[in-house]
Amino acid sequence: MRKTVKRAAVLYILIALFMGGVIFLCAEFVLNGSEWASNKRNLHIYSNGTIVNAGTIYDINGKPLAKSEDGKRKFANSASVRKAVLHIVGDTSGVISTGTHNLYRSTLSGYNFVQGISSLKKSGKGNDITLNIDSEACRVAYRALGEYNGTVAVCNYKTGQLLCSVSKPAYDVNDVPWDLRTNPDYEGVFLDKAVSGLYTPGSIMKIITAACAIENIPDIFSRTFECDGEYKTGDGIVICNGEHGKITFEQAMNESCNCAFAEISIELGAGKLKATAESLGFNKQLYAKEVALTKSRFNPPSSDKTELGWAGIGQSTTYINPTHFLAIMSAIANGGTGQSPDRIRYLGSFGKFTGRLPEVMVKMNPETAAKLRDMLRSNVVNKYGEGRFPGLEMCGKTGTAEIDGKKSNSVFAGFSLRSDLPLAVIVIAENAGWGSGTAASTANEVMQYFSENYGR
Amino acid sequence: MAEKSKYRPQPKFRQVTVMFLISVFQVILFAGVVLRDSEMNMTYIYLFTGYICFEWIYMVFNVLITGSDYFELEAIAFFLSGLGLAVCASFNETFFMKQLLALGLGLVTYITVILLIKNVNFADFLRYPAAVLSVLILIVNLVMAKATNGALNWIDIGPVSIQPSEPVKIAFILVGSVTLDRLLSSKSLTLYIAYSLACVGLLFLMRDFGTALIFFFTFILIAYMRSGDIRTIALICTGALMGAILIIYFKPYVANRFSAYRHVWQNADTIGYQQTRTLIYSSSGGLMGLGIGEGKLRNIFAASTDLVFGLICEELGIIIGVSVLLAFACIAVFAVRAAKGAASSFYAIAAVASAGMLLFQLALNVFGITDLLPLTGVTLPFISRGGSSMICSWGLLAFIRAAGAPFKLPSPDLAVSKQNRRKGGERA
Repeated sequence: MRKTVKRAAVLYILIALFMGGVIFLCAEFVLNGSEWASNKRNLHIYSNGTIVNAGTIYDINGKPLAKSEDGKRKFANSASVRKAVLHIVGDTSGVISTGTHNLYRSTLSGYNFVQGISSLKKSGKGNDITLNIDSEACRVAYRALGEYNGTVAVCNYKTGQLLCSVSKPAYDVNDVPWDLRTNPDYEGVFLDKAVSGLYTPGSIMKIITAACAIENIPDIFSRTFECDGEYKTGDGIVICNGEHGKITFEQAMNESCNCAFAEISIELGAGKLKATAESLGFNKQLYAKEVALTKSRFNPPSSDKTELGWAGIGQSTTYINPTHFLAIMSAIANGGTGQSPDRIRYLGSFGKFTGRLPEVMVKMNPETAAKLRDMLRSNVVNKYGEGRFPGLEMCGKTGTAEIDGKKSNSVFAGFSLRSDLPLAVIVIAENAGWGSGTAASTANEVMQYFSENYGR
Repeated sequence: MAEKSKYRPQPKFRQVTVMFLISVFQVILFAGVVLRDSEMNMTYIYLFTGYICFEWIYMVFNVLITGSDYFELEAIAFFLSGLGLAVCASFNETFFMKQLLALGLGLVTYITVILLIKNVNFADFLRYPAAVLSVLILIVNLVMAKATNGALNWIDIGPVSIQPSEPVKIAFILVGSVTLDRLLSSKSLTLYIAYSLACVGLLFLMRDFGTALIFFFTFILIAYMRSGDIRTIALICTGALMGAILIIYFKPYVANRFSAYRHVWQNADTIGYQQTRTLIYSSSGGLMGLGIGEGKLRNIFAASTDLVFGLICEELGIIIGVSVLLAFACIAVFAVRAAKGAASSFYAIAAVASAGMLLFQLALNVFGITDLLPLTGVTLPFISRGGSSMICSWGLLAFIRAAGAPFKLPSPDLAVSKQNRRKGGERA
């Protein structure tokens, strides 16, 4: 009898195990509650997989880009704005996975652990989000790309605010084309190319090669290079865009001379080039705050000199992510510190008071940054002409990225030196030809918009 | 000790406090249900008021007439049953009336079981008919029952469907615990093992794996309580594990039923449907809930039965959800204490086995629908809608109550009443 009674204590073990389970369950609710509650299958928020009840998404000027009214999701009034901000705002089904609707759905649902989604339930609205994005600037950028697909992104290199981000092709959420998924013209329409795109950089990669050269070749600025239209590497040829004759390092950058940069790349070697690129964020999983970026890739071959030469001038197997490259441009403009481009101004009801902490995405030696800045300024002054960017004090580099079997991509990356216009910009216009063409003019148009609206 | 407790008014005062708190909670809860509709349902108002009044009458009867100050168990059961009633009422009146009837039958079962096992010798006599009857019921069930929800564990008789495995749980505890005086008799033990095998085997054939697991777990618990031999228990468990492996090897469909375990989000719209919805909506409710009737989980199949914990979390909040879990842990704690003061080892074993069974079933249910354990489709005792489950829950509770404080009218025998008080003092 007494033994039996003692054995009753076995229940305490079971109770302890049970309580362990209860604590585990509670911990799961604390840790995953937000993700669970904002799941697409939650019919408080979604209907047939599309958001119906959620907070409003405002642009930087307080214009509502998406809001819930009477159990329906309503978007910006103008069709051109709806298209221009499609990828930033995202669709209501979350097919555009990096859209604000999908990425910040837990905020939009108004979920918090204490209240669950009670506020959404009561008002039909969750927490609001104010973006840094200027929807009008997006419209300007979208229009400036004209007939070409591609992407445009502009950020404030002092604060990291992402003011403009456009991806083409896009569609109007209020008038979804019936052949969206089948028409080849809409290929990649669900991808925000600014954050998920990977592009052959073309000559803007010379910025990275130059950074490596500045840090590793002490007399680089006093060197001269000989260009007769092609550079023999020993196991092949790198072809140049012209015959530049005897030029300095800075002139080589101005002229985007492939011969000079292939020579520099081979002298530096694959190891040093890769080390510089990786120190700037290549081959690394980067996040622009909550937004995961596709990895920029740089893997120059060490054995094949010709391939190494091509890699150093942005061809071969080198790929850049536009938002990542924008952060590199920010680092050059901002004395070596490249802030993460951040699309969010205020997140949720307390966002106004707590603000957003800036995050550094790219770190660069300040001296290298200063020298690169001067070289990029020299590009505009001595090569492209100030007239291409009137009044902007632009620095930049064009790129013409050769794609197999298609017309080249037109690429421009740059920034303004004006203290009232601390903006960096990247433009990629697919199959638009020379970098000094569509990309540079699009960058100018967008920057002019900001100069008019934000400049002194 | 005895002298101290003689003049101590706290126990009764405490019971009134507990009852008062429960009443306040239930008034708010029931008001939430009644006020939802624009037109107030008078039936609900009368019956809810009646339920609360009944709880008070029961408490007063319990304390004054039987002289027992042992009320916590019933208080917890009233709290849980009240939650179940409110959930049923928030669905429709039919559910509510049926649940109320089930609750009444549960209480009748509760008192009947307590009275039946009051005499150990009578309980000892009961075990043979109980064993034979329960095996017969399961066989009849297996032969007659038609397939429902993948498990063959329902019998439809006219408008009522019963789950025969539920009353068998009460018999299973009785048969297992009552053989106290022959603890060392190998014949009695062999018979009990044969009986347990028959029950678990039949449940397995009905593909009611959840209930089979509950029976097996209870068997282990009773075997430990009776023998105290860890090595034998380990042997049985190893044997069962090997059996399970063989079954999974030869009958892969058994394992397939549990293949969603820990992968519910990848199977969110197929075999992980109920679990994912439970998680989504439980977290939607937050700590305080969205309000009764305001949830979306109620539209999912089995929301008022298997998934009722999720519904409570969504509509009444995680705090109340966790309170439910803690309430069962309290029942188990009471069972240990009751076992320690039990008049015979039969009551001690029965109390521990019942509490273990309740706790295990609760764990299978709550952790199953939240994907901490594989989903087996068992009910949440006292709360899930359904008569069989409610009756069985109260029946099991009777074993714990019988161990702690059997119903006794105030006795003129001083020694007995002193002893009673001493026990009460110990518990306090």
